[in-house]
Amino acid sequence: MADYQQPPKQPEVKQPKAVAPTPENLHLLSRRDFMTLLIGGGASLVLAATLAQPLDTFARQISETRPAGHEGDSNFHWVMVIDLSRCIGCDYCVWACQATNDTKDDMRWNIRIDDETPLGEVFHVTRPCLHCTHAPCVEVCPVSATYHRADGLVAMDYNKCIGCRYCQTACPYGARSFNWFERSDENPRVPEWGTPEVQRRPRGVVEKCTFCVHRIDAGLANGLMPGVDEDATPACVNICPVNARFFGNINDPNSTVSRIISSRPTIRLREDLGTEPNVYYIPPEGLV
Amino acid sequence: MTAASHTTTAKFRPMGVRHTSLAFKLWVGFLVLALIIGLVSASQVIMNGLGVTNLTDELPWGLWITLDLSSIALGAGAFTLSAAVYLFGLKRYEAIARAAVFVGLLGYSSAMLALFMDIGRYDRFYHPLIYWNVHSVLWEITMCVMLYTTVLLMELIPIIIESTPLKNIAILRTLAHVLHRFMPVVALVGMGLSLLHQSSLGATYGILTARPVWYSPSAPVLFILSAVAAGAAVTMLATVLAGKLLRKELVPEDVLFGVAKLVGFACLAYLYLKLWSWAATNYYSQVPERQLGSEILSQNTPYNFTFWFGEVLFGALVPAIFMLWRRTRSNRNILILGALMIIAGLVINRWNMTLSGFVIPLDWSPGTRDVFPINQYMPSLIEWGVAIGILAYGGLAFTLGIRFLNLYPQARELPPNEPVKATAEAAAPSTPVAPASA
Repeated sequence: MADYQQPPKQPEVKQPKAVAPTPENLHLLSRRDFMTLLIGGGASLVLAATLAQPLDTFARQISETRPAGHEGDSNFHWVMVIDLSRCIGCDYCVWACQATNDTKDDMRWNIRIDDETPLGEVFHVTRPCLHCTHAPCVEVCPVSATYHRADGLVAMDYNKCIGCRYCQTACPYGARSFNWFERSDENPRVPEWGTPEVQRRPRGVVEKCTFCVHRIDAGLANGLMPGVDEDATPACVNICPVNARFFGNINDPNSTVSRIISSRPTIRLREDLGTEPNVYYIPPEGLV
Repeated sequence: MTAASHTTTAKFRPMGVRHTSLAFKLWVGFLVLALIIGLVSASQVIMNGLGVTNLTDELPWGLWITLDLSSIALGAGAFTLSAAVYLFGLKRYEAIARAAVFVGLLGYSSAMLALFMDIGRYDRFYHPLIYWNVHSVLWEITMCVMLYTTVLLMELIPIIIESTPLKNIAILRTLAHVLHRFMPVVALVGMGLSLLHQSSLGATYGILTARPVWYSPSAPVLFILSAVAAGAAVTMLATVLAGKLLRKELVPEDVLFGVAKLVGFACLAYLYLKLWSWAATNYYSQVPERQLGSEILSQNTPYNFTFWFGEVLFGALVPAIFMLWRRTRSNRNILILGALMIIAGLVINRWNMTLSGFVIPLDWSPGTRDVFPINQYMPSLIEWGVAIGILAYGGLAFTLGIRFLNLYPQARELPPNEPVKATAEAAAPSTPVAPASA
């Protein structure tokens, strides 16, 4: 290893730092400095003026596209209303969803939990995806695989999803499931609660409730109105034996959902987080 | 690096021993075995899906994300020491900058391996390059990590060409020279990228409003400060360990001590923000959700103990003293110990950070009942296997790098009058090569 020799140390030459001011070097600004500043400043101004317009447009575009991934405009904005004072916790909506959207028991899109009011009265909460207006899942997705449709739905593009599961981490409602395995199971809810209307999702992507988007889109194309005509309405809404679920277009002031929301007190889950969910709950007695 | 080093390495002359000793063979054999364990485990994951892990929908990130966060942070030495050389003009740190770049590349490539294993669709790993979501911190991280790994490769390629017979090929030699010329610019771009994503890794957790233990503006800054400390510590550790095993002084002493001091001060800065971040959120204010979260953590996990002893006391405070007090700093063994403590503290921190947010269940139900169970996680054997494989990759690459690359341009043999244990020299005529430590 004689190849490696320490480089000879160069004695550092100290430059004298302070020079006593003399009339020659006391110029605050030489002519040369002045010209440089003048040209430099002028060039900067010209550059700023040229770039101002495109930069402004760019900045506007950035602020207008927030929150991320919103698609154009639509006459429709779909919302769901769930009446907790009516819900009897029968799980029909859970099972109908499983059959229609072909989900496993541990990957349910629509779940039921039991909670109680401050007075100890038990009530049941069912939770689909809340299709938030400011959806954390959409904001964090690194590939825009989940996005806002113009009609307010938070949709998934299974062909883009890389399966990083950041959306699961970000969703405040635990509404997302991951395909940990390739599916080969028998669906226990078929045929009693319905038949699958959508393809199973491949291994390695995240999925969630779609508000039965396939029914909405096909229904509208056939002149049906989601929330009114059963064929265009989410399975969970149709099956409810006590009519605790309603679906419809909140942009239409005469829709059932609009009338309920404008006439009755409703809550949304974790409103403090600013996610603006599109699922409204009518609270049970004794809550709120 | 300098013209001198180009000419002095005229023959192919690796840094380490020129023949393979038994110890070296055993060490490489051990690493290859670990690598095979990793490959077998990874094939299980790729064939059967991520269901073979112990991750769940409630706790979807675990050991591999911890490994990913840790190796990126441990690779930050490249960014810190490049900043010293190219931004602050501290030219003497060029002596250790190459090693930092090499360790950095190992860290980043290990992290990319861990991420690759962690995503559900390996066939779509490139999607962030095509489908942009500029609003996503994870998109920003992916882009920065890819670009920065490219930067590190550009910094390393001249070293590889110069250290191996590749330098006899004229076009490669020209390439090395061109890359070398642009190095200051490349290094500065790299620093910007590194600064961005090291912080945004903290923001990955810090921006999530629904998880009160994570939601914090200090998370990004804590991530970069700990990365500065730990990244430089790993580079220092690698240098000291390799120097011990090769019985050489790989970098001048003042450079080594300078890095140690930098590590010490970074630890102090990290501690300062960490303590204030804790005090502001857990001591001087009472946000109900956060309090509940802290209670859950302290009752169900070793979070409190590992936070105070693993992260704060033995992960930052004690090693900061080791690095800053002249008497401890000048002892190589204490330097090694201190660096190991910082690395352990960082890994514990990344584990705690990842797990704490998931262990505390989300509570979105409007009622008063505790509906949601606390989430538990222990990595499965296959997860450990993959992690061991990734570590083995890092160890093997480091071993070969130390042996075949000219990573320390100012290395010199220790003069005979300097204290080298005579027994060790007599007993071991062949020099073992440094084991990897990251």
